[in-house]
Order: sequence, then C-alpha cells, then structure tokens
Amino acid sequence: MIHTNALGLSNDFSVQVLTTKDRGFTPEEIAERAADKIVSVSDNATPEVRAQAEAFRQKIVRLVTFYIHEGIKNDRTTVCNAIVDAGQPQLAELIRRL
Amino acid sequence: MAFSGNFMCTSFKQELLEGVHNFKNSGGNTFNLALYTNSASFTAATTAYTTSNEITNTSGSAYSAKGVSLTRVDPTTSSTTAFTDFADASFSSASFTARGGLIFNDSASGDPTVVVLDFGADKTASNGTFTIVFPTADASNAIIRIA
Repeated sequence: MIHTNALGLSNDFSVQVLTTKDRGFTPEEIAERAADKIVSVSDNATPEVRAQAEAFRQKIVRLVTFYIHEGIKNDRTTVCNAIVDAGQPQLAELIRRL
Repeated sequence: MAFSGNFMCTSFKQELLEGVHNFKNSGGNTFNLALYTNSASFTAATTAYTTSNEITNTSGSAYSAKGVSLTRVDPTTSSTTAFTDFADASFSSASFTARGGLIFNDSASGDPTVVVLDFGADKTASNGTFTIVFPTADASNAIIRIA
C-alpha cells in the first residue's frame, strides 16, 4: 500500500480591522483584544468548558485593563517630568490631569 | 476592479520551496503590510508589492509607502499543522481609508507577496487608530498554515 500526504496552504484566513475616530483605543478595548489572544475555546467544547473559559477570559480582561492603566499612569509621570525639565510646568500639569 | 477575497499567493508557495522566505522571529525576513484602496485588484496571481492604488493619508502622515513592518512570531506546530503569526499592526494618529492589504517580503528581491487581505469593506480611521488584528495563532485559524 502506498501512503501519500498532501501538503496544503489554506486560503481560509481573515484579519479583523478595528478603527477609531478622534480618539485612540481605550484600555478596556485593548484588554479585550489581549484576552482574545490568550484565551480561545474549541467550537466542540461542552457548555461547561465554554462557560469556564469565558469566566477565565473575563478575569484576564480585568487584569490586563488594570495593568494597562498602570502603564499609562507611569508613562504619563515620565512624560510630565520630561516636560517639566524642558521648562513647561504648566503643560506638564495639563497632561498630568488628562 | 476591486478586492475579491483573501488569497495565499501562488508565487509565495513556489518561493517557500525555493527558500525565499524566513518567518523566524530572530533573524527572519522583514514582512510588511501595505494598504490599498478598492481600486486595487489582487488575486492569488499577485506576485509583488506595488505602489499602484496604495492608500494615501486624508490628513497627517501616519501612512507611508510600503505600510508597516510586521512583528514576526516564531513558526510552530500543532498536531500535523505548521503555522506562523504576526503581532497586530497599528497606525496611530491615522486619517485614511483602506479596503485591503498585501503582506510582502521587504527583505527579498522584488518585494514578493505572501498573502492578499480583503477587509470586506472600506475601513476608515479619522484622527484615530487603524489596527489590523491577526487571527488566532492555531492550526485552524493562523494567517499562514501548512497542513
């Protein structure tokens, strides 16, 4: 018996495009994307497994959202200090209050 | 002329066998994603990056020719399928409209194409962020997979 293994590259793929108007994405929106990269569940999963995965995903969203906010706050501190050092304390204060 | 779907370029399949493309995170080739208007007409027969019908900025300078360089993710396997992925790509402070894109190898001679991406409709960012989210990196969904 001769066994053959076909080698195939799939055309079945797609990307998602997300856009915003007059703003950037919020930490919550970015956290949702991060969670989608971390957690996925099979189409064949049982309802119980699916529910458990969704609960875990929501925990990921909350955790990532928190740390994105932390990153923004810390980066803003660094930026404000750089602006103060450049002689623009009022501008730095405006940015700090965003 | 218009976008008519997602395509894995036929020339890319040949070039894989010729060792033209390297998707490894460390030491791999530079792959770019260029964006196009719906006047572009790409198919599996598309072989190389082109400036024809490439988008321009409505305002600002977020987009420039050849688009954005993609961050490679090391190829891996799951069961009998090999696949690779890219990190999501973003244009910030963006004001433009795009209908689709071309991923091409900016390191290789002639900028050979990898895949044609059809966004399904015109997508517009206005003084905002334009983000391309790549599919889940697994054996069933990854952007480039060999089964």
